[in-house]
Amino acid sequence: MTKRSMYIKMITSSLIRRRSRMFVALLAVAVGATILSGLVTVYYDIPRQMRQEFRSYGANFILVSASGETISEESAAAALGCIPEDKVVGTAPYRYETVKINEQPFMAAGTELSEARKASPYWFVSGEWPERDGSVLIGQEVADVIKLLPGNSFTMTGTDLAGESFSRDFRVSGIVQTGGTEEAFIFMSLADFASVIGENGAFDVVECSISASQAELETIAARVTEIAEDVAPRLVTRVTRSEGAVLTKLQALVFLVTAVVLLLTMICVATTMMAVVAERRKEIGLKKALGAPDKSIITEFLGEGLLLGCLGGALGSALGFGFAQIIGVNVFSRAVQFPAALAPATLIASVLITGLACLIPVRSATYVDPAIVLRGE
Amino acid sequence: MALLDIKGISKIYGSVKALQNIDLAVEQGEWLSIMGPSGSGKTTMMNIIGCMDKPTDGKVILDGIDISAESARNLTAIRRDKIGLIFQQFHLISYLTALENIMVAQYYHSMPDEKEALQALDRVGLLERAKHLPSQLSGGEQQRVCIARALINYPMLVLADEPTGNLDEVNEGIVMDIFRQLHSEGSTVVVVTHDPEVAEEAQRTVILEHGRIARITYNVGRESRKGE
Repeated sequence: MTKRSMYIKMITSSLIRRRSRMFVALLAVAVGATILSGLVTVYYDIPRQMRQEFRSYGANFILVSASGETISEESAAAALGCIPEDKVVGTAPYRYETVKINEQPFMAAGTELSEARKASPYWFVSGEWPERDGSVLIGQEVADVIKLLPGNSFTMTGTDLAGESFSRDFRVSGIVQTGGTEEAFIFMSLADFASVIGENGAFDVVECSISASQAELETIAARVTEIAEDVAPRLVTRVTRSEGAVLTKLQALVFLVTAVVLLLTMICVATTMMAVVAERRKEIGLKKALGAPDKSIITEFLGEGLLLGCLGGALGSALGFGFAQIIGVNVFSRAVQFPAALAPATLIASVLITGLACLIPVRSATYVDPAIVLRGE
Repeated sequence: MALLDIKGISKIYGSVKALQNIDLAVEQGEWLSIMGPSGSGKTTMMNIIGCMDKPTDGKVILDGIDISAESARNLTAIRRDKIGLIFQQFHLISYLTALENIMVAQYYHSMPDEKEALQALDRVGLLERAKHLPSQLSGGEQQRVCIARALINYPMLVLADEPTGNLDEVNEGIVMDIFRQLHSEGSTVVVVTHDPEVAEEAQRTVILEHGRIARITYNVGRESRKGE
């Protein structure tokens, strides 16, 4: 047997055969590593998760005409091509025109209703989203003025692009409540809109909901400006800024909690190791009496500590992923992604923290006087 | 030259004089007993001889080295290389087997050698108990493991503190047989004891009282005669 294998035998035997004592220290390290791993996973996954959450608050990126007129369908398509497909939640092009119902003017909006639903998931619709030609959504304000309910029909009149008057019956499929300006609109499909107003091959605005950070949105905006000169991309700052602020605060909170947990873990491990050293004073004294230099005493106790850190770190890495999943499912209602590099990082962090926590207890072990602790009774 | 030469040592703790002007020489191969009542300075004497304490005054020469003038680090090395310690409470490491407890001494001394450690266990009649933990051994067996550990590195001086203090009569007999064998093989043995029967096994018994040598008894078998 070599010295190294004897050393390994000694530290593993100490942990395995004194498991009830070392279990507390292992538990402290494992709990610390679990929370570390879990919170770091959440820390890195928060932007992704929160961006998904923020997409519930509607469009964060809008395309308008650079000249103040309309955007041609070709320019809109070119601009939308600049947005990575995997980041698109919904892109709703809009055309607007004033129409009349019972001689009262209202704003009609033609859009791709399925995309509008994706881009504006916060809309509360009483009734159904339109699925057939001739069905529309009307805002709550419109419904209140002309006393319409889902299922009712009304006649829309107005003047089309050619200057001709039109009159067409529509059925109210649902009533939109948003608490915003949308409640004064009548939403219909682009086809229905074109059937009454006429086709001009252009949009007034394109509302986009994109799952990206403010920096990423700015990059996309720059690319749109380059590719489609007649399109002016705009970030919806009230959304993107509040998104950034919330993310920063959340990440700071998680960072702070992680730091506190690490500190508590270190204190717990240090306290446990202190107790371990105190209760093993006779063993330390004996080893010194047998001729063990201080260096050996330090390396043995440090070895035990680092092995504990290793085991606790491995355990914590696995449990941390579970912990992060619980947070993800319960807080964000979706699974979190586990960064692959986090497992070795947690292991290394656990070993370092345990090693650091062991320094003072291990140092105190070298002060044990064999003549005192081995004294006969 | 004596293996151990104690020259006028004193040990003072505050106002307590644990040892006062002790002179004693132990020859190579000698078996010496140190006796005395509680507080007579036996343990202090053993700690100084065992390189675990230093005298306040005087010199202790062990194998030509003045151990009273050495640093703590050097004393650890001298203890490791030259002294085999046997304790009344055995002091085995609870989480290591009998065999591993012996190999620990080898580990600190030079290189663990399982074969040699097994031979040491065989020598004290515990070969079949090699894989047992201390908690699975009787007091007598634990003491025999402690003796095997003390002897594994071939020390110049075997220092035993009340080696039979916690043993029954049967195990006391077994342990004393081992000491007799050790002595017959030429080992130098110093035994601190309060048991006159154990002390009489030695060639010479030093009796301490109030930190001084009260008398030295020379034993011839069970016969004894007083000297000096």
